[in-house]
Amino acid sequence: MRVLVLGGAGFVGRAVVQALREQAGVQAFSASRRAGSGAAAAQHHVLDARKPDALRAALHGMDAVVNCVTGDAATITEGARRLTEACTGAGRPLLVHLSTMSVYGSTQGWVDEATPLRTDLGWYGQAKIAAEQSVVAYAHSGGRAVLLRPGCVTGADSPLWVGRIAHWLRAGRLGDLGAGGDGWSNLVDVADVACAVVLALRLPWTPGEAPRAFNLAAPDSPRWNRYFMDFAIALQAVPVRRISARRLALDVALLGVPLKVAERLMRRLRLDSNALPPGIPPSLIPFWQQEIRLDSRAASHDLGLQFTPYTSLLATASGAAAHL
Amino acid sequence: MIDHARDVAPGDTLRADVCVVGTGAAGVPLALELAASGLSVLVLEAGEDRDDVATQALYAGTVADERLHSPPDKYRLRRFGGATGIWGGRSMPFDPIDFEPRSYIPDSGWPINANDLQPFWAPAAEYLEIGSAEFDAERAFTPPAPPLVRGFASDRVRTDSLERFSCPTPFGARYRGRLQRAAGLRLLLGAHCTHIQLAPDGARVQSLAVATLAGGRFTVEAARVVLAVGGLETARLLLASNDVAPQGVGNAHDVVGRYYMCHIAGNVGTLVFNGPPADVRHGYEVSPEGVYCRRRLCLTAETQRQLGLANMVLRLHFPKITDPAHRNGVLSGLFLARRLISYEYGKRLKDGDGGGLALTLRHLWNVLTDPVDTLAFLVHWLRKRTFAERKFPSVILRNRTNRFSLEVHAEQLPRADSRVTLGSEHDALGMPRLHIDWRYSPDDVTHVRRTLAVLAEEFARSGVGTLSVDPTTLEADLMRFGAYGGHHVGTARMGTDPRCSVVDAHCKVHGVVNLYIASSAVFPTSSQANPTMMIVAMALRLAKHMVPATAAATGEAS
Repeated sequence: MRVLVLGGAGFVGRAVVQALREQAGVQAFSASRRAGSGAAAAQHHVLDARKPDALRAALHGMDAVVNCVTGDAATITEGARRLTEACTGAGRPLLVHLSTMSVYGSTQGWVDEATPLRTDLGWYGQAKIAAEQSVVAYAHSGGRAVLLRPGCVTGADSPLWVGRIAHWLRAGRLGDLGAGGDGWSNLVDVADVACAVVLALRLPWTPGEAPRAFNLAAPDSPRWNRYFMDFAIALQAVPVRRISARRLALDVALLGVPLKVAERLMRRLRLDSNALPPGIPPSLIPFWQQEIRLDSRAASHDLGLQFTPYTSLLATASGAAAHL
Repeated sequence: MIDHARDVAPGDTLRADVCVVGTGAAGVPLALELAASGLSVLVLEAGEDRDDVATQALYAGTVADERLHSPPDKYRLRRFGGATGIWGGRSMPFDPIDFEPRSYIPDSGWPINANDLQPFWAPAAEYLEIGSAEFDAERAFTPPAPPLVRGFASDRVRTDSLERFSCPTPFGARYRGRLQRAAGLRLLLGAHCTHIQLAPDGARVQSLAVATLAGGRFTVEAARVVLAVGGLETARLLLASNDVAPQGVGNAHDVVGRYYMCHIAGNVGTLVFNGPPADVRHGYEVSPEGVYCRRRLCLTAETQRQLGLANMVLRLHFPKITDPAHRNGVLSGLFLARRLISYEYGKRLKDGDGGGLALTLRHLWNVLTDPVDTLAFLVHWLRKRTFAERKFPSVILRNRTNRFSLEVHAEQLPRADSRVTLGSEHDALGMPRLHIDWRYSPDDVTHVRRTLAVLAEEFARSGVGTLSVDPTTLEADLMRFGAYGGHHVGTARMGTDPRCSVVDAHCKVHGVVNLYIASSAVFPTSSQANPTMMIVAMALRLAKHMVPATAAATGEAS
């Protein structure tokens, strides 16, 4: 089986490629806009998925394609549209599309895959919903597709949920948020996401059926407060601070916005923006409060996915962050 | 969803799987856990979002002896969040010995034991925001915290038992969002439960009568009812619901309202340590979770059993505030500011009234001659308490003299004639007001005296210091402010025998199939521990019991 992983150089993509390469009888090809690094670079193709011809050529002879592409709204939306079009013209391979819990918008409580999607949480959720719609259309036109909706994907080199969180905890800018951290973290190990992709390749299928969707989150992942507390203690960033809502809002306003501006400026000037401390984006304040809980039982039952437990996620995160 | 009772149509009947009355330390966790398991939960809260004079006035009542017990509208809040709106945050579990029948403590022994509560301490700690349920000072800190007193070792006295301090978390404000969002949960503010209507056979609750201060009346019919209204109001509501059961609900054997306990507390003795002041850690440690913790002194369980002594703890305390002889600017400043401090926290500063101008001037002199400490204290207080969300728990002074008093917090021996009853007056909703006749026993003082003697022996034996206690003033010292305020225990005690208890081991009222009590009212004995953490743990245990294993669908993982 030949599988093409788009966005294969990214955080999730790399894990997917690695998991596929461990499968007997699977030939994995990695492609992304930028060149790969390390040992995997040799088997990595530079591909601009926005160019239909190049995309069609890359899809030629593939049995499946995994879409791990991320970026701005246009990259996500247009990328998915062009990909499904190219798939239609390239023998309709199985499409495994990495979506997100953000498609559920501001919904709270237990959320299974039948929960209506909501576009009320900004550009990212909107773009990912539009991308899902392209995938659904592909399935209607006879293509075979699977949607994966992970929560917050962690792993040793997770930039979003390990790297910057560790930075904020060490700087005393994040800690016990009280009611501000009551939201569920819906953490999921990047290896579990990769495993879900592998399992999705084997999912039985009848032509014409709507794509199956699977929520991905460790069932025992805790509220954000618990994660911040446990992570800070593991990092020895103690005593953990109680951060009031006022203080967090102040951090976002006084540091978050200027840091974002500075980061953009430095990028434009081709300077290394990684030297800047990460700002806390305003969107995280409501996000950490949102009591949305991904019901991932379908992934367990129908995909046969065994989720990495929270304690292991935490150990991985703290092990990795110890070297940051 | 949070609504107001004024928006319920008069005469309406509201229905739910479970009705929880009250939103304090018991009601909030209980309601959240029940709702998370998929049950429909209706929560009745009498109070509003903020203080309301007319609502609070419903708590007023009478006391037999004002020197022994504060008026019933103090230390309680008829408000969203209940008394967690004024609590001090001190949290610790009950000890295993508290559950044992002890021959030397009359009417002691619970129908449950420490193992039954073990699963609930950690989740209770989470609700209370005290970091973890680790109460052993040897394990709670990294790096390990220094000992309470360097060089003190004893087989009979423990110094490693911790109390942990909540923010203190006000459950109303803290859990408002979760209550608002919880599926299947509806909370009504301004909803006063005035009557428990039993079915004609008396064996089940048929409905609850609910009133609003504006005159609205409606009814609640729930498959099961939980009273989470505190140790005093539980007795009031049970006793006042006396139409079907003439003696009141659950009171066939005249137990409701009896065995009323608080804690025996006071500052006693003089403890002088020999070594350098730095060898004594009398203040707070901060746990890795950022939680303030404090060590206490207590006798080991074996020593208590051997000598037949009640369970109690003792903390290192500063000298008597009201006496200006301490020459301490901070203490004198507190004394001078006592009128600005709330009744509940200022009470123990007020026995110096009557000292007149001379006393005031002497305290003022202390403040003026100790400006550095006073200012440093003020700055610390503003930073770590006034403007902090996790508040520094209490006044701690630098130890310069190695002289302390001991702050006792002891269990009170249960006695049937210490009781709350219905008074002759009625409140604005027509409910009989409470009458409180709190009594203590001479043995309560004896237990403290004998415990202090063990401490004195052990300090002397190890050579670290000298504890002297004047036995002639001990009772007066312990009773100077009467019963320790705010801990209302025992009025609907738990037991297996309906003739001498009100609820069974699952907090269900004897003889009524669908009525439960979540409150310190059910504690048969009062422990050394402040009751809040135990109240939360018991509420969580009750929630678990009330949810059939099969009904816990997706909510089980919560």
